[in-house]
Amino acid sequence: MADQADFERDAMQYAPQLYSAALRMTRNPADAEDIVQETFLKAYRAYDSFQEGTNLKAWLYRILTNTYINKYRKKQRRPNEVELGELQDLYLYRRLGEASGASVSAEKEVLDAFVDQDIIEAIESLPENFRMPVLLADVDGFSYKEIAEMLDIPIGTVMSRLHRGRKALQRKLWNVAQERGLVGPGT
Amino acid sequence: MDPEHETWKMTAGCDHAVEYVYQFLDEELTWWHRARIKWHLRRCSHCESAYEFESKLKSVIRQRGRSEPPPELFDTLRALIEEERSNRDQDQGQDDRP
Repeated sequence: MADQADFERDAMQYAPQLYSAALRMTRNPADAEDIVQETFLKAYRAYDSFQEGTNLKAWLYRILTNTYINKYRKKQRRPNEVELGELQDLYLYRRLGEASGASVSAEKEVLDAFVDQDIIEAIESLPENFRMPVLLADVDGFSYKEIAEMLDIPIGTVMSRLHRGRKALQRKLWNVAQERGLVGPGT
Repeated sequence: MDPEHETWKMTAGCDHAVEYVYQFLDEELTWWHRARIKWHLRRCSHCESAYEFESKLKSVIRQRGRSEPPPELFDTLRALIEEERSNRDQDQGQDDRP
């Protein structure tokens, strides 16, 4: 069992990551700060029940996602289960290849040209039920099992949402690449 | 159109590699399954390039998908916990009274 007196020492290091994840979930700095504060308060109160030696980061993220879901899903009459159209596998890679007739190195250069804001907007453009697994897997590096536990959905659902969410993210990045003139005639 | 892409004739091995690209990169495959895909990638430069691209995209998302917190966040959280602690100490003090 963890000692509540150690909470600050142990947990504070994860505050920046939790805030960033909260901001991707809420897409609003004031709401993000709100749910991070609530997460830390809940975590502090429950810290005596945290099993030392298990994954503290995952435990904190679980409280964060629960706090977010309880607070923001309540505002919606129904959970916002949006469907995405079917997209080709390797969506961005194939589009870049077609557009530029490029060598692989040129396709990778397009990735280097994306700035933080491009990636952030692409993540935030995803409907919530796809954004959460993509965020937790790609930005925060959690396993399918950990994400399934956090979102309280089966692992198979995590995998299919990740699969489709990532393709939608790639379509968004493809649009960004076109808008920014990173691909197209002459490149 | 890149002739290389046009001539990327998908074999069963390619279909399989494309289907499992995310599970491979997420390290969610068994050792045996992983080895089977690696075997294909060593022999298929198209799939190998696609895997390299997806792998790089994953690391770009990881590196550039984060935002910095406001500088006062740590102070706010510490103050919040301090307040909670002192409230609790007060409550306990009251409970201990005869």
